[in-house]
Amino acid sequence: MNPVQQFRLEEKGVRFRNPYFFLRILLLAFFVFTPFMFRSFEVLDVVLKIIIFSALVASYDVILGYTGIVSLGHVLYFGIGCYSVGIFMGNLGWISYGHLALAFLIAIAVSGILSVLIGLFSLRIRAIFFAMVTLAFMEFAFILSSQLRSITGGDDGISFKLPGILAVDYSIGHFLGIELTGRILSYFLILLICMILFLFMLRFVHSPVGRVLQSIRDNEPRSIALGYRTYLFQVIASSFASCVAAVAGACFAIWVRYVSPDSSLSVSIMLDVLLMVIVGGMGTLYGGIFGAAFLMVTRAFLPKLQVLVGSILPGVPMAARLSERWLFYFGLLFIIIVYFFPKGIVGTVQEFFSKRRTS
Amino acid sequence: MAEVEPVDEPILKVERIHSLIGKHHVLQGVSFQVDPGKVTVLLGRNGAGKSTTLRTIMGLLSPSQGTIRFKEQAIHHMKPYEISRLGIGFVPEDRGIFNLLTVEENFRVAMHQENGKTRERMETVFHIFPDLKKFWKATAGNLSGGQKQMLAIARPLVNRNELLLIDEPSKGLAPIIIDHLIDSINKLKEFTVVILVEQNFYMASSLGSDFYLFDDGRTVHHGQMEELVQNEELKKKYLGISG
Amino acid sequence: MDSPWKKWFPTLMVFAIFLSPLLLISPKTYITLTISGLAMGMLLFLVASGFSLIFGLLSVLNLAHGALFTWGAYIGFTSFGLINQWTGWGGSESIFLNITIFLLALLTAGLLVALLGVITERLVIRPVYGSHLFQIFITVGAMIVLEELVRIVWGPNDEVMPVPISFMGSYDLFDVVVSKYPLIAIAMGLIIYFVILMILRKTKLGTIVRAGVENPEMVQVMGHNIYRYFTGVFAVGSALAAIGGGMWATFVKSIHPAMGGEVIIFALIVAIIGGLGSITGSVVGALLVGLSYNYVAYLVPKAALGITMLLLVVILSIRPTGLFSEGT
Repeated sequence: MNPVQQFRLEEKGVRFRNPYFFLRILLLAFFVFTPFMFRSFEVLDVVLKIIIFSALVASYDVILGYTGIVSLGHVLYFGIGCYSVGIFMGNLGWISYGHLALAFLIAIAVSGILSVLIGLFSLRIRAIFFAMVTLAFMEFAFILSSQLRSITGGDDGISFKLPGILAVDYSIGHFLGIELTGRILSYFLILLICMILFLFMLRFVHSPVGRVLQSIRDNEPRSIALGYRTYLFQVIASSFASCVAAVAGACFAIWVRYVSPDSSLSVSIMLDVLLMVIVGGMGTLYGGIFGAAFLMVTRAFLPKLQVLVGSILPGVPMAARLSERWLFYFGLLFIIIVYFFPKGIVGTVQEFFSKRRTS
Repeated sequence: MAEVEPVDEPILKVERIHSLIGKHHVLQGVSFQVDPGKVTVLLGRNGAGKSTTLRTIMGLLSPSQGTIRFKEQAIHHMKPYEISRLGIGFVPEDRGIFNLLTVEENFRVAMHQENGKTRERMETVFHIFPDLKKFWKATAGNLSGGQKQMLAIARPLVNRNELLLIDEPSKGLAPIIIDHLIDSINKLKEFTVVILVEQNFYMASSLGSDFYLFDDGRTVHHGQMEELVQNEELKKKYLGISG
Repeated sequence: MDSPWKKWFPTLMVFAIFLSPLLLISPKTYITLTISGLAMGMLLFLVASGFSLIFGLLSVLNLAHGALFTWGAYIGFTSFGLINQWTGWGGSESIFLNITIFLLALLTAGLLVALLGVITERLVIRPVYGSHLFQIFITVGAMIVLEELVRIVWGPNDEVMPVPISFMGSYDLFDVVVSKYPLIAIAMGLIIYFVILMILRKTKLGTIVRAGVENPEMVQVMGHNIYRYFTGVFAVGSALAAIGGGMWATFVKSIHPAMGGEVIIFALIVAIIGGLGSITGSVVGALLVGLSYNYVAYLVPKAALGITMLLLVVILSIRPTGLFSEGT
């Protein structure tokens, strides 16, 4: 029995004694019952975005936290996912389940191939080049998507309709007091997909490959000495994560039924992802959920805060600007978290509990 | 007949230092002292903590416990550049040559001031290491291994240097070059006190007067070099050399 | 260690790219494009060289560099406005007064942003030296904060960058249209390049910096407080970014808070192409990018950015560490 199998067996043995296990079940239950508990679309929208971004952030964490290389262009693959669905449904107008599935497959294939290529030629040299090259490619894709009007719709983006049960006007009747519209059904579809993605990622980081990745992260020279071609493993991790990001992007497109460079490919989304992973904590996967929840919820409440500031200090332009620039505070928060809680929320809490348990 | 105990105060006194590299407790109580006018050799197996000791003296690692005194002054909380300015030179194991700079520029970086005295010292350096004068304008990266080592040893000497820490100068050099190097170090003994970390027992025994044996991050034995040359048991136990 | 072919490769490459468009473009247009390409290259050089030097010496991938560029443009904008209000030199017909006010504005931008850079380095980056991961994060944080501060101080909208009167318009040399400002930008860029090169090559300070690029620990052991040099290089790099920002703004005649983010991508590519930590590499890389961008933008407008990426991919495949080695 290899160490990985042994670890899994041990995990299984204590599963029901592990408080995290119940926490996970609770979390899942929350996501499943959200549409029944909250009637407002706003809440549903925020929760679903949390779900999608959790998957995206977790996929980023696979590269960052488990492999130890920094990509600054991860959102590129998210964008590929978005545009793949957008182009099939909107630009080509092929609205059917088959084509939706095809869009997913193409997104995965394109992301996989592209990330392998980028990884092969930039990771081979120096891990820090990866950060720069990925950032350059993302920016390139962003500009490309706003220039190729005939394919991507330029800056205006593409709005589109979805097939069958996912369409807005579809309804199969009432259940537990709410109407099961296309929206609600897409919510459940996306929740299911994201859950599967999450399980895939958990499986990946605990697989033998995942273990090698962690050993590379912790001590690259030693892993090389042990005979691993480290950069190939890093390429594998980055392409796996990219495929996950592409699926998350496709889900996002299904939910918002619209793609544009700003909403799917921009640097500001990358910043969001970075912030979420930092807030949640690197190398935890679950951290992404907290990071995403924190950022999405805060952002949903910010406009209200702005109104509040405006009513307290009317006619002070500087105050208005200060309250408008929420990104400014996120930036400060970002720096503070990196300083004081480099492990993020989940990491710090885990550390706290494990310390208490041992002492 | 035993040698007369030196009357001078030790130039460097290291007392019970502990040092950590990351989580590894590398030094666990190193004590030794270096007397003026001598070459002190630190011996021991790989990983015994000799290089770490030199790095700790130089301030590149700060000891978690213990004291290091240079001419009565405590230096274990000082920064490397402050320690260097006190007159302590360091030749690391990888030699620390600036490969992209010329020999001249390498010396220039090493100089604390540039004045008449520096020029005088430069002449002395050329006298001991004539090759360096020959390759004055050459890029340091193109020098041979032996020349690089000489450059590394010579660099600190352009300053008022009182203590020179040399980490494994013989590493990767051919025997004939090692002989050459022994000559050179013997010459510079006049100008500066030397602490030598050396695996090559031939080099260590031809240069050293005092020795300290390291094992598992501790100093376990010390004495005169002549004693060690004859003490087969000690050599076998800590150095793994016989004959 | 290098074959002669490899040594001359970068130079040959520049000339090949420099001359190849002549096959497709008429000589007159070619000259006009070349001049604006060189000007763009020189402006990119100003941004990229600071970025590259900082990476070379401090091993910090300073993503806040773009924000410092923006700050430079905005401070240049404000100080130009203030000095002009006071003296009216910007609107004067005298080219001498025009250049004076332009240089004064750039100087103010350079000095203030150098100060800002020093504050950033001390407060934000110094605590995380040695940790690549956190450095990248912390500079991303610094980038957000600095860019948002621009929005808070100057507002989120575009502004029109004032241009001195005699910088506008163009000369007509034998029927070839040559805009004036690009010539000024090229001259400024060359002067700054040679000044930096001389400082790095001939002074003790420069020698220590080059030594530090190779082995910072050894520089410490030789009795130099490397952190002081880190701060100094950070200040100079920031000042270069600021001057680049001010000059870029005058080039495109407008400023907006996100301008740094757009330019930093180019600077990044230039720095990688040229070789991180190399000033000469920055110049060559910047000229390569500037020229190829302009030629392609004229021939196939939509492929202009693509050629830059292609250049990056091709050069990284042939010479993984960039055209020039560190410290040159």
